[in-house]
Amino acid sequence: MKIFKLFKEDTWIKPFWGKYRKSLFLALVLGFLTFICGGALMFNSGYLISRSAAHPENILLVYVPIVLTRAFGIGRPVFRYLERLTSHNWVLKLTSELRLKLYHVIEKDAVFFKSKYQTGDILGLLAEDIGHLQNLYLRTIFPTVIAWLLYVFIILALGYFSLWFALVMLLLLGTLVFVFPLISMIVNGAKQERQKSLRNELYAGLTDNILGVSDWIFSQRGTEYNELHAAAQSELLKIKYEIQNNDHKRDFAVQLMFGILTIVLVVWTSSIFPGAHGGAANWIAAFVLSVFPLIDAFAPLGQAAQETNTYQDSLSRLNSLPKERDVEQKKDVKLTAPYEFKITRLNFHYADAQQLVLKDLNLTIKNGERLAILGRSGSGKSTLARLLRGDLQCSSGNLTLNGIPPAKLGDDICHYIGVIHQTPYLFHTTISNNLRVGNEAASAKQMWSVLERVGLKDLVSRMPDGLETIVDEAGLRFSGGERHRLALARILLQDVPIVILDEPTVSLDPLTEQDLIEMFVKQLEGKTLIWITHHLQGLSLMDKVIFIEDGRLTMSGSPQELAHTNQHYQRLLEIDHGILH
Amino acid sequence: MIDKKLLSLPGIRKILTLLAGIAFIQGSAIVGQACFLATTIVELWNGEKLIGQLKWVILFFGCFALRHFMVFYRDKILDRFAAKQSTDIRKQLLGKIFRVGPQVIQANGTGNVTTMVLEGVDKVENYLHLILAKTVNLMIVPWIILTVIWFFDWESGVFLLAIFPLIIIFMIVLGYAAQAKADKQYKTYQILSNHFVDSLRGIDTLKFFGLSKRYGKSIFKTSERFRKATMNTLKIAILSTFALDFFTTLSIAVVAVLLGLRLLNGQIQFFPALTVLVLSPEYFLPIRDFSGDYHATLDGKNAMNAIQKILALKEPKVRQIEIPRWQHSSTFKLKKAIFSYDKNHRALDDVSLSAVGYQKIGIIGLSGSGKSTLINLLSGFLQPDEAEISFEGERAASFTQNDWQNQLIYLPQNPYIFKATLRENITFYNPAATKEQISQAIEVVGLKKLVAELPQGLETIIGESARELSGGQSQRIALARAFLDESRKVLLFDEPTAHLDIETEVELKERMLPLMDQHLVFFATHRLHWMQQMDKIIVIDKGKIVESGTLAELKRKNGAFVRLSSSLRRI
Repeated sequence: MKIFKLFKEDTWIKPFWGKYRKSLFLALVLGFLTFICGGALMFNSGYLISRSAAHPENILLVYVPIVLTRAFGIGRPVFRYLERLTSHNWVLKLTSELRLKLYHVIEKDAVFFKSKYQTGDILGLLAEDIGHLQNLYLRTIFPTVIAWLLYVFIILALGYFSLWFALVMLLLLGTLVFVFPLISMIVNGAKQERQKSLRNELYAGLTDNILGVSDWIFSQRGTEYNELHAAAQSELLKIKYEIQNNDHKRDFAVQLMFGILTIVLVVWTSSIFPGAHGGAANWIAAFVLSVFPLIDAFAPLGQAAQETNTYQDSLSRLNSLPKERDVEQKKDVKLTAPYEFKITRLNFHYADAQQLVLKDLNLTIKNGERLAILGRSGSGKSTLARLLRGDLQCSSGNLTLNGIPPAKLGDDICHYIGVIHQTPYLFHTTISNNLRVGNEAASAKQMWSVLERVGLKDLVSRMPDGLETIVDEAGLRFSGGERHRLALARILLQDVPIVILDEPTVSLDPLTEQDLIEMFVKQLEGKTLIWITHHLQGLSLMDKVIFIEDGRLTMSGSPQELAHTNQHYQRLLEIDHGILH
Repeated sequence: MIDKKLLSLPGIRKILTLLAGIAFIQGSAIVGQACFLATTIVELWNGEKLIGQLKWVILFFGCFALRHFMVFYRDKILDRFAAKQSTDIRKQLLGKIFRVGPQVIQANGTGNVTTMVLEGVDKVENYLHLILAKTVNLMIVPWIILTVIWFFDWESGVFLLAIFPLIIIFMIVLGYAAQAKADKQYKTYQILSNHFVDSLRGIDTLKFFGLSKRYGKSIFKTSERFRKATMNTLKIAILSTFALDFFTTLSIAVVAVLLGLRLLNGQIQFFPALTVLVLSPEYFLPIRDFSGDYHATLDGKNAMNAIQKILALKEPKVRQIEIPRWQHSSTFKLKKAIFSYDKNHRALDDVSLSAVGYQKIGIIGLSGSGKSTLINLLSGFLQPDEAEISFEGERAASFTQNDWQNQLIYLPQNPYIFKATLRENITFYNPAATKEQISQAIEVVGLKKLVAELPQGLETIIGESARELSGGQSQRIALARAFLDESRKVLLFDEPTAHLDIETEVELKERMLPLMDQHLVFFATHRLHWMQQMDKIIVIDKGKIVESGTLAELKRKNGAFVRLSSSLRRI
């Protein structure tokens, strides 16, 4: 079974068993005591009634059972309450650790993580996976371990009375503790697998067709899809029905086992506690009645074991993440102005592909230069930006900032280069916290001053809590243009000499785009500006335009030069300007 | 206790009657099981031989098995019933979504709609299963048991009856307290619990600012704060379970002690006392079950309400008129159209336009000016608040006309590519297209290179999570769809090239222009160069048509159009 293999190679669950050992132990003991109290209450009550029925001369003879009955009656709910608190607390502590671990793993690869995984929201998924691990503990691991403890205790206790009967119970309870859960996992495991894949298909199919709903409506083929979906759904229902059916059968069989267990206890007790209107026979009721509370401990084990199958995906997703690596030692290098990039004979291909993304590139970016990198999507221009920041390293050739490859600077690169993306991320916190990402020490005055520079001062001062307003809350949404302005404000606070704009404005309408570009150029005056774009809007504000086609640099020059001498550029300009000519 | 909505489900009366019957048998079996077990124990206690008890033991086991068989049988019935209900609900929901279309999806979000159809309906299924069984059980089983207890020992009966409402009151009071506490903390709670995902999503930004390494500490700290907040709420939240547990277990203890004391005085016999003791946990079992899956039932209830809300959405009933196939002499008129998404703001205000034959009409304006709304109105996705619409002089209430929609091809900014083979995607509007037609379409829209690159050519699966295509390629596929259904003579373009790079746009334009011939075209865009190819241009601003005419006329007028184009070309 896949799940066992996963467990064996796991690095996300097992290492944490040693953590917070005391509270883990406490949680298990409390769980164990809960069931012990439940069983003991009935055991004691059975004895109390039998003993009383024998009319002892002295009431003091039943005094101890009376007190114990009350104690167990109160003990059970109290232990249960404490057990739930302790186990939740432990699991949440673990969650903090797991989150930190996940964060560290992803942080290593932060820049590329999202683009590496095609699945829509891989990060959201991983965060949920950790939530699933919580459930794995609370719903499967804890109940199972507690039942095992109980099992051991019962067998030992019975062994005190009779060795052979302890052996009988070892087998009978053993089937409940091990055989049923195992069978349950195996029999339904395959079906659950099938159920999951069917469900995923349905999900994908439905999402797909809901996204394309307008085409279905126009083509007037909507009912066709509904029938298709219904067919797939009914197959899923069938499997679900089979699984449920197995569950019901198992639950029924488990209950019958308890019936048999009761009878076995009746037989055994009647043989070792011979009755004579009381006497030793007082123990019969005690032993027999204590079976019923135990049902609560052992009956859910099958379901619990079976649930592990549903955590399989989460486990394998987490375990297939790259392992935590050691932080590489970086040298303490300080760069000083003027800053100049030198690129000579650069070739680049990704590690997992042979095809060159950038070929034989030569380029110098001078201090304070405004450079536009123009090209189609997929031409390699974003790759170039990542090479400049040192997130990627060239396959051959050289790329240096003031003579040093940017990758050598490690995280210190952020003192020199700032980046604005197509969709700047705003954290779900206050505006001031979002700005302080740029500079943690920024004062309110500084923040207001950069907000003024990016033209957001009025907007923010009109907000209910000013700088302390939470982004995106209660209908407060920044438009695309405003998000870019905030991103720029962050960069201004960061105060770096070089700024890379990676297609920051392509999703905006032309007027907003024009405004933004003008602002970028004005506010970043004096800094080196590297602007990646795929259309011509605003290019005339640049000192230099280079054109990348299929990884090669195909033209280069000032926009005015190109407009005069380069045919290709002229043609593009002509189309873009179109009717005004 | 049972939602009124449930009582209106088809077949619910029958299932409830059946469940009541099952619960009755179950209750009786529980009583039998307790009596026979007590008899066996009492006889053995009296010193009788085990062999003499065979009869009682068999009867005990029979009752025990019958009781659990009834559970088994009940679950099977409920499985079937719930599955049937969920299938029906799902069918209705899907039908609704595909009839009403984008409106529902936009209002709820694609993800939510998908989740609702799949998981939401599953939750409803689970809810039906749980709530019906538990409620019926609670209404029947405890009272059968209580009657028998009363018969054996009325004093215990009185005690057990009195404790029942007490339990319920405590649970409700504590439940409210927990809710109040949770509500008070909701906001902090929400922020803390989203903090982690938020940080993960913004991790590249943190990296760019060199904060990502240090931020790990903040993750741990916030997570620990979250833990403390959760534990504080939990302490109260599980109090209601504690109360239930406490009262039931303690009641059993009290019953046992009282029985013991009265046995000592000889006020009661051993057999009835033992039977009452065995029965008392069973008396509380249904209420414990009932409160057990509280969250699942709550989820199910919420899901059910959300689904009902969509199912109750009004479907526009538009009188269908006959519209002949569009040809060079066809006309339609739209007068004084008003549309608003919300009350305070008109997205379209007094819009009038007319179309004749194979005109090409450009709609130009900035984002938010109402271009897309106009296109959506023309496509029939939106119903105008007011408008006079006429086709060839015949009046219609909106463009939601079958005879109109089956003549349309709609090309949005991101045409949707289904996860299917390239062939299926191309022939979406005309599944019966021949091989020759398909290869011609591929030729015309310039997809030949792509087909050659794909491993299985036309039969390669494309779309989400299969082979992803570039924006230009998607547009070409959408164009091929249009080309393959020549009977559709009306083309609606909504910013088809806004996100493409300039060169791809040029290549695409060359392919698109011939296709527009012999079609009525509405072309919404803010890219000015398209206007050269339009017969008529409509300039739209803040929902109003501010200017219209041919390109030459508009240039001469030197009005809104010229202002717009120069503001787009300041540099």
